[in-house]
Amino acid sequence: MKLRTITVVALGAASLAAPALAQQRVSVYTAHTANIVERLIPEFEKATGIKADVVKAGSGDIVNRTRAEAANPKCDVIWSIGAELLEANTDLLEPYQPKEAAMIADAFRTSGAWLPYTGILNVFVVNTKKLKPEEYPRTWTDLGQPRFKGQVSMADAEKSGSAYMQLNTFLTIYGDKQPGWDRFKPVFANLNVSNSSGAVPRFVNDGEAAVGVTLEDNAYLYLKNGGPVAIVYPEDGTSAIADGMALCKRAPNAAAGKAFIDWALSAPVQDMVVQELGRRPIRKDAKPLAALKPMGEIKLVKYNIKNAADKRQEYLEKWRALMLAR
Amino acid sequence: MRRGVDFWTFVLVAAFAVIAVLLAWPLLGVFEASVTDNRTGALTFANFAQVLGQPAYRTALLNSLLVGAGGMAGAMLLGIPLAVLTTRYVIFGRDALATFAVLALVSPPFIGAYAWIMMLGANGWMRAFLADLGIGLPPIYGFFGILLVFSLKFYPFVFLLTASGLRAISPSVEEAAESLGAGPWRRFFKVTLPLVFPAVTSGALLAFVLSIADFGTPSIVGGKVRLLATTAYNLYTSEMGGNPGLASATSVVLIAVCLAVVAVQRWAVRRREVAGSLVRRPQPVRLSPLASAAAHAVCYAIVLAGSLPSLVVIWTSFRKTRGPVFHPGYGLDSYTKIVGEVPHVIANSFTYSVAAVLLIVVLGTLVGYVLARRETKATGLLDSLLLVPYIVPGVVMGLAFVVTFNVPPLQITGTAAIIVLMLFVRRLPYAVRSAASILKQIKGGIEEAALSLGAPPGRAFAKVTLPLMLPGVVAGALMSFITAINELSSSLILYVGRTMTMPVRIYLSVLDGEFGTASALSTILLAASGLAVFVVLRISDRKEGEFV
Repeated sequence: MKLRTITVVALGAASLAAPALAQQRVSVYTAHTANIVERLIPEFEKATGIKADVVKAGSGDIVNRTRAEAANPKCDVIWSIGAELLEANTDLLEPYQPKEAAMIADAFRTSGAWLPYTGILNVFVVNTKKLKPEEYPRTWTDLGQPRFKGQVSMADAEKSGSAYMQLNTFLTIYGDKQPGWDRFKPVFANLNVSNSSGAVPRFVNDGEAAVGVTLEDNAYLYLKNGGPVAIVYPEDGTSAIADGMALCKRAPNAAAGKAFIDWALSAPVQDMVVQELGRRPIRKDAKPLAALKPMGEIKLVKYNIKNAADKRQEYLEKWRALMLAR
Repeated sequence: MRRGVDFWTFVLVAAFAVIAVLLAWPLLGVFEASVTDNRTGALTFANFAQVLGQPAYRTALLNSLLVGAGGMAGAMLLGIPLAVLTTRYVIFGRDALATFAVLALVSPPFIGAYAWIMMLGANGWMRAFLADLGIGLPPIYGFFGILLVFSLKFYPFVFLLTASGLRAISPSVEEAAESLGAGPWRRFFKVTLPLVFPAVTSGALLAFVLSIADFGTPSIVGGKVRLLATTAYNLYTSEMGGNPGLASATSVVLIAVCLAVVAVQRWAVRRREVAGSLVRRPQPVRLSPLASAAAHAVCYAIVLAGSLPSLVVIWTSFRKTRGPVFHPGYGLDSYTKIVGEVPHVIANSFTYSVAAVLLIVVLGTLVGYVLARRETKATGLLDSLLLVPYIVPGVVMGLAFVVTFNVPPLQITGTAAIIVLMLFVRRLPYAVRSAASILKQIKGGIEEAALSLGAPPGRAFAKVTLPLMLPGVVAGALMSFITAINELSSSLILYVGRTMTMPVRIYLSVLDGEFGTASALSTILLAASGLAVFVVLRISDRKEGEFV
């Protein structure tokens, strides 16, 4: 009977699953943007001979997914997600001492459950066609001025690790008690909240928003390629912290996962992420990127990763309350 | 009709088995979570109290209903006229029109909404152009934007189902009305419309349900409008591990709303079984030149408006880029960036969708038959249950699948099979509805004749009824395929590096702000699916011809 043939064919196609594993593989979960993944993963495969299966998602999705799979882990390495997110989920991670641990700059040392990968910096990105230099916002509180109503793009802090960091930076500067939140309210009222931090400089570049709160390297990508954007470093201070990577607990290919981490911390890779992608270096021996403002000239606040992880629930509940009240 | 154990009993059992394993089992977890306290694990109704009691959630519920009704109304406003004009009158380029209408569905989630921002956003070119003409529009963000996008995105469902219903109406019924002195309008409203009512309402129902379950469009063009689907999505995907209790309760409310609407639709079509024996198919009528020009204008305007986002995406894919930034001029920059990974991802998309659609067509057609021909308590239950998959937001289904199928006895996470099964269960209802709605128009008499001449039920079905239902089956298969190959929200949760599909890849590009590569990938997906749609429409047309 014809129907039966069709069913057999369909079932056959459905079970095309699980091909034989001919070579060593590593399963990498990352919040890196696709262009970075495509730039770096071939380098990894060339350098180590290991085939990488990459799952790309927002950092929140990555953690949720790793947790959902915890009974039967699929992930070997979590690569490039927010520090406090790793700090808050150490039960999913396996501590690992990398080969070149001694080369990590002291400022970026971590608790040990996870490892720093690159330094990232929170900045404003502005559209140079919509704003003249004297109109740029200079401080975090400037973003709350009436003239920026509906003109500030920022990702949802519940979904984007960098947006949470940005919220936290504000609270670090102005206090996380009621007065601090009161000063944040006008800023929040001006926001266009987007689903991902990667889209923020896009909106600013396209003129859908005049200002974006974003990571320096995301903004630099548009600047480098001739977009009508400029980077503004807030005068009331900003945060520079590590984004991290970690070995997953009970990783199915733990050895390959360790090889991945060692590769990511090696000098040539670190040089590439600094010079090409605009990240800040975490190795003692790395040269900073000349096109970006030197670290010494940027006002930095002391960002407490431990506190950011501990207060996560509280801060995000307040953020959500603001979202619900819109 | 005969009762007792026969071929159709087995179909029913198979359908219930599929639902039990792929639907009830995973979703049980969702219901359980909705009445569980996140911290203590105790039984609680606090989550529901919050969803139904807190003003913010109540507003979301109300907005969702408005968006559902608005999206449905818009889809009907566009879909019904298009279906009537293209099936009843000679419209030049009918196949191409139908193909483009269907392709509006292919415009992958997210990128279509972004295309509207490029047109009608704060800095959109169409808005600037209209402003120059003296038509000042506010930026798209908000209710208006959501309804505009939904109407143009979901009208093809109404169009496809209505058209297949119209094609199954025996001309003799309308001729009888005509000879009894009914004018063309009266004939349309009193005879034709009631006959296609089940098909029209099936399409409208789809538009409603998809409108209230879609979280992608409102999260992009919705501005500050709060909806249940976006709320549930946000609650599920938030970084702090989400709020599974509240998210599940929100999903359960969403499901309940949709089930209520389904109940209304079922009640409305209950007494509408005016089937005629279809001995010949209606032939398109040639209109007077003036009327024909107007009809063409309406058809082409609707299809063009629906295709606009896709056209913008295609245009964007050929713009010159450096990194993510567009520069003046055109080139293949976006295509060269993706050339290496595309074959693998496209192959995945087609393999999974085709496998799922084959399963869907087989089971969907058989189940559609049972639903239309045997109205028992069991089939009524089955019909309602089958609506659940497309009511449940993809994110919810995806997570439910991960949790359920990550451990024995059925440990299939990370495989292609889990994606195929997900597509299968999520898209099965399209084929079922489509098959059932066309059957409501085909009288059982011919098949009964075959039965009384001694043919076993399965054979009578295959030789007599199936050929008559074919337009409905093809329409259902097409919709399943189109929506399967565009499935994003559940695949996003189930994919691993090896099993990445096109929509997932496109979504990831959009999320990164890489509109160039996202557009190039979308264009490839559009071209591939467009070809598939066109071929199927062509084949089904010839098949229809065989029975005239």
